[in-house]
Amino acid sequence: MIRLLLSGLRIHFLLLSRSASEVVAITIWPILYATIAYYMFGAESDPHVLLTASLGATVMAIWSSVAFSAGGAIEIQRRLGTLELLVAAPVPFGAVLAPITIATSAIGVYALAATLLWGRLLFAIPLHFEHPVLFALSLPVAIVAIGMLGLLLASTLIYYRAALFLGASFDYPVWLVTGLLVPLSVLPGWVAPISWLLAPTWGMRAIRESTIGGSPLRAIAMSIALSACYAAIAFVCLRAFERLARERATLALA
Amino acid sequence: MAVEVIGLKRSYRPGRGVVRRRSREIEALRGITFSIERGELFGLLGPNGAGKTTTIKVLTTLLLPSAGTARVLGLDVARQPREVRRRIGYVFGGDRGLYDRLSALENLRYFADVYRVPARGQRARIDELLELVGLKGRERERVETYSRGMKQRLHIARGLLHDPPVLFLDEPTLGLDPVGARELRKTIARLQQAGKTILLTTHYMFEADELCQRIAVICGGKIVATGTPADLKGRIADRTIVEIEAFGASDAMIERLRSVDGVASVSVELREQAQVILVQSSRGSELVQPLLRELEDARVGKVVPRQPTLEDAYVDLVGSA
Repeated sequence: MIRLLLSGLRIHFLLLSRSASEVVAITIWPILYATIAYYMFGAESDPHVLLTASLGATVMAIWSSVAFSAGGAIEIQRRLGTLELLVAAPVPFGAVLAPITIATSAIGVYALAATLLWGRLLFAIPLHFEHPVLFALSLPVAIVAIGMLGLLLASTLIYYRAALFLGASFDYPVWLVTGLLVPLSVLPGWVAPISWLLAPTWGMRAIRESTIGGSPLRAIAMSIALSACYAAIAFVCLRAFERLARERATLALA
Repeated sequence: MAVEVIGLKRSYRPGRGVVRRRSREIEALRGITFSIERGELFGLLGPNGAGKTTTIKVLTTLLLPSAGTARVLGLDVARQPREVRRRIGYVFGGDRGLYDRLSALENLRYFADVYRVPARGQRARIDELLELVGLKGRERERVETYSRGMKQRLHIARGLLHDPPVLFLDEPTLGLDPVGARELRKTIARLQQAGKTILLTTHYMFEADELCQRIAVICGGKIVATGTPADLKGRIADRTIVEIEAFGASDAMIERLRSVDGVASVSVELREQAQVILVQSSRGSELVQPLLRELEDARVGKVVPRQPTLEDAYVDLVGSA
């Protein structure tokens, strides 16, 4: 299974790298978000605020990439004619789909590097990590958690073709309710429980606290727990939706 | 028995409309029954929309049957899909089903992992298959640069990665040029000689005649005949086919041909400017003159009486279904 996941990651990185539109979007998004964030918080003298803003921009870029790509992942396979072949394979379909969403999420490593470098070069933001080891741990944990949220989103699309737009329409609301754009404290109280259920909230918190200080372990643990929950729900959904798709003949419809 | 299909039915309810969703039921399969022996190359022959692809999709676990049962190597395709998938290969015709931006080798490596080919020996298996389908030396080129024939051969290699004992080939020569199609038929024949059980769907008669040991003719979701190519030809062995090349024959003239005494069936094919009228009868060449009298107002070219082929048997079966 590990081999299948790694092979899937490799193949989907290759596919992403050979699409001009994907490469342009992946390259530009984080820099664009980071620039907006720097100017929004430009008046702040506290370098921590700017660093936090740039890290928020990174997680925004990761989520945008996953929201768009996960939403389209099944539809793309359907259009290529590979969806039926992947469903007809003897492995659980979730194990085939997970690398697609994790690969798009892992683009976040580039997003982070580009954002921090951009901030360092243009805005002279100091790069200082309070817990470098925990930072190195929190990044992959956040990437996998957001990738798993993408898997959960994608799992609904095997049957509901019309839900393709869902991925894109979740982009901005998730930025908002997970505190990537504005602090959660300024949002109404009922938003908090929703944000706790979303991986970007904890991913962002883990990355931020390992960078500027705090105790990121709780956020890292929550990210891991949410990843496991998303994966379990996605696998159950995929089984149910696969059966529905076999019953209603929606696998091959373009 | 490698494949056993008993009373298989499959219907669809395609929905229309957004606010008031309407749907009507379409019966794609109306209770078909057939079986395939181990090592046999079995053809499923029928016109477009006859139910060939639906049959294959049920057998490859991509569709659930509405009624009836289907087993592959004794495993129920509806209840044991995972077990069935380990033992079958599925190849369909056309350009789709591959990652065009990747090379053939990258495609095969990925599908080898998806189809659980053990890591040890995976490269050797891929090399062996590239050799079999004649793509050795071209495996590092992107699939988008391949011809249709090369893509189709790559599909075959992909379907064979996990060495399945049963292969489902859904119109694999669709859209191939004659040379590409001939090469592919040779590959299919080699697979059968190697002991694979193959279910091949096609609407090319000569292909079925050349390759298949037995054929089932499917039309309108029902099997209308099963047997060897010789059996099917034998159904109209007592008939003669009169092939008439005509220009400007009206529908009324064709109708009149059908009412000529002794005529069993009439079909018309268009070949460039000409209409080729195929008349089946049990009266042999003595029927030529009465037929030509009915075509007086049209221009008539060659008139050739000949022995029936599998295609004539097929036209007769489908026409009378």
